[in-house]
Amino acid sequence: MSESKSSPFKITKPERLFNLTCALLYTRNGLTKNEILRSVPGYENEYVDGGDNSSLERKFERDKSSLIHNGIQLEVTIPPHEDENNQVTVYSIKRESFYWPKNVEFTPRQMALLNLAADAWAGGSLSTAASRGITKLRAMGAVGEDSDIVGIAPRIQASEPSFRDLNNAISDHQVVSFMYRKPQTGEIQKRTLQPWLLRLVAGQWIVMGWDEDKQDTRNFMLRRIVSKVTSVKGVRPFDPPAQEQILKAVDDLDSLGAKQTAKIKVERDSEAWFKFELDLQGNGNSDEVTINYHDVYVLAEQLREYAGQIKVLKPDALIQVVRAGYERVANDHA
Amino acid sequence: MPNPERLDDSDRYNLMLSLTGFLVQEDEYEVSELAERFGVTSDEIVRAVKNIGFTDLANFQNPDRYVVDYDALEEGFVRISYNLENVVEDVPRLSSRQASALAAGLVYLSSLPGLAESEEILALQNILSTGDSRGNAPEVIVQPGSRDADLITIRQAIKIGKSIVCDYLNLKGEMRIGRVIEPLRIDLRGELIYLKGWCPENQDVRSFRVDRMRNAKLSDLPVSDSALNAVLDDEVYHPGETDTLVTIEVEPEAFSLMVDFRPVEEPVSVSEYVKSFKILVGDVRNLGRIISRFGGAARVVAPEEARSAVREFALKALGELPATAPEDAE
Repeated sequence: MSESKSSPFKITKPERLFNLTCALLYTRNGLTKNEILRSVPGYENEYVDGGDNSSLERKFERDKSSLIHNGIQLEVTIPPHEDENNQVTVYSIKRESFYWPKNVEFTPRQMALLNLAADAWAGGSLSTAASRGITKLRAMGAVGEDSDIVGIAPRIQASEPSFRDLNNAISDHQVVSFMYRKPQTGEIQKRTLQPWLLRLVAGQWIVMGWDEDKQDTRNFMLRRIVSKVTSVKGVRPFDPPAQEQILKAVDDLDSLGAKQTAKIKVERDSEAWFKFELDLQGNGNSDEVTINYHDVYVLAEQLREYAGQIKVLKPDALIQVVRAGYERVANDHA
Repeated sequence: MPNPERLDDSDRYNLMLSLTGFLVQEDEYEVSELAERFGVTSDEIVRAVKNIGFTDLANFQNPDRYVVDYDALEEGFVRISYNLENVVEDVPRLSSRQASALAAGLVYLSSLPGLAESEEILALQNILSTGDSRGNAPEVIVQPGSRDADLITIRQAIKIGKSIVCDYLNLKGEMRIGRVIEPLRIDLRGELIYLKGWCPENQDVRSFRVDRMRNAKLSDLPVSDSALNAVLDDEVYHPGETDTLVTIEVEPEAFSLMVDFRPVEEPVSVSEYVKSFKILVGDVRNLGRIISRFGGAARVVAPEEARSAVREFALKALGELPATAPEDAE
C-alpha cells in the first residue's frame, strides 16, 4: 500500500505546516532556520546545500505567519552571545502554550451551544475563524447534542467590509488607519487607531480603541468608515491595554446611552405603537414613549421609517436630523 | 463548520492538528464517524490521515513518527500508532481570532431569550479564553438586543412539534388576531428575530417577525407533514414573478441594504464611496420607508415609479403631502 502515500516530492502546504509544527514542538534546544530547511519534509527536498535557497527562505517566512495565524506561539530566541546574527536565531514551540490546559472539557450541551455560536457566523466575516475553532473543539471529545437547542438558525450580519480587517488588527495589536465620515458635517478625515474591541451596540458595530491623533479613547461606527482599513507600516504592535482601561471605555459608552433620552408621541394602534411596545408598557393611557440612545443619527434612521405615525417631541437635535434626512431623500429623488 | 466542499490549505492543516489531537493510540475509528464529527467529507479525512502518516521526522533526534494502518484505511477505518515523544498528542489551543469568533457567537446567542443563562455563556467564554493561546479576553462583545417573552413559547412549540396561535401585525399595519402558525425554525438575523413557519392558510413557508407578534400561545394542533417536509432556506424574502427590478446606489452608511436584500447580481462600485446594485421588489411603495430611513445614504436610481414612491414618502413625512399607507402590502 505504500504507493498510496504522498510522494516525498509532492508535499502539500498543509503537510509541510504540520511537519514544521511537529519538528518545532519536539526539538530539545530549538532549531535554526537552516536546520529546518535542511531537515523538515516540505523544505529539505528543495534545499540546495551551499546554493541559493532564498525562495525556500521566503516560504519559511510565510509558513511562520500561517502558524501564528493558527494560534501557535512561536518562540524565537537568539542565544545571548550571538546577538545580531539571525543565522543562529532559534525557533521552537512550547508545549504548554500549544496544548489545551489539562482538565478542560465541554459537556454535550456546551458543545451544542458552541456549534450554534460558530454557525452564527455562517457566510459572515468571522466564519473561517469560527469553523476552524470549532474543528479543534470537536477533537476534545464531546459531541454537541441537546434537545433544548433545536430549530435555531442564528446569523450575525456584519456587512461592513472593514469588520474582518479590524478584527485581525485587534488580534495582532496592529495600529490601523482609515477614512472616517463624521455624520454631523459629512466631512471625511483620516483617523489612526490602536483598535481594542469590536462591539455591537443597538444593532451597530463599533470599534473602540486609542485614537493616536486625539490621544484619547474613541468609538468609531464601522459603517461610517468609508475606506479600506490599512495597517500602519513600520510601526511596532501596540501594547494591549489593561482590562480595566477597556472596561472603562465600555462603561463610558454605555452610560452615554443611559443618559441621552428622546421623547416621541405615537399614533395609537399604528405599526409604531407596537414597534415601540406601547401596548406592553402598562403605563396607563400615555401615547408618549421615552427612548435611550447612543447616537442621534442612528435613532433618526429608526424613526424615519414611521413617518406619519410618530412625532418627535425632543430633543431638538433629533427633530432636525430626522427632518434633514427626509429633505435630502426628497431632493435626491426629485 | 468548514464548508465541506471547499477546504483550503489552512483548513486542512487545522484538521490535521485536530485529528491527531483526537486520535488515541491504537484506537480504531470509522472514517465516516470522523467525517461526521469534524464536519468534513470522508475523502478529506482519508487525505488528512495519509498526510499525517507521511509526517517524517526521521532526521530528528527521535526517529519515530505516526504509523498509519493503510489496510484498515482502505476498508474505511482509521487506526494509527505513534511514539508518544514525538507527535501532536493532544488538542491544540485556539488562536485569538478563533476564540473571539466563538465568544462573540455565544453572546449573540444569548440575545435569544431562554436559550442560555448569562452565567452559562460567561463560563463558556472563560473556558475559551483559557484555550486561547495568548489567554486574551474576548475581543468582540455583542450587546444583546431586546428580549421577547413570546420566543419562549415558540421555542417550546418547535421542541414538542405543536402549532402556535398568535396576533400578528402585518406590513399594512393591521393586527390579525388568532393567526395559526406551525413553527419550524427561529432565524436570528442581525438585530431582528424571525420565525420561519408554515402558514396553513397559505399552505406555504413564511417568515414572521417576532417583534410584530403578540400573545403567542401553544395550541394542541401538531405541526403537519407538509410543514415538516418544507424546504427551509436562509432567505427572508422570495421574489415573485411580477416583481420590479430596482437599481439602488448606497454609500457605506447604507451598505447593510446589500445584506438585507440579496442583490440579483454582484454590486458594482460607481465612485470611491458609492456602490450600485439591483434588487427585485414586490411593491415599490415599500421602498419609501426603506430608502428614507437612511436619510440620503441610499438612493433609487431607476425605475421612475420607484423613485417617485420614495419621493412621495419623504414629502409626506415633511408634511408636504397627505399621508396614506399602501393598500395591499403584506
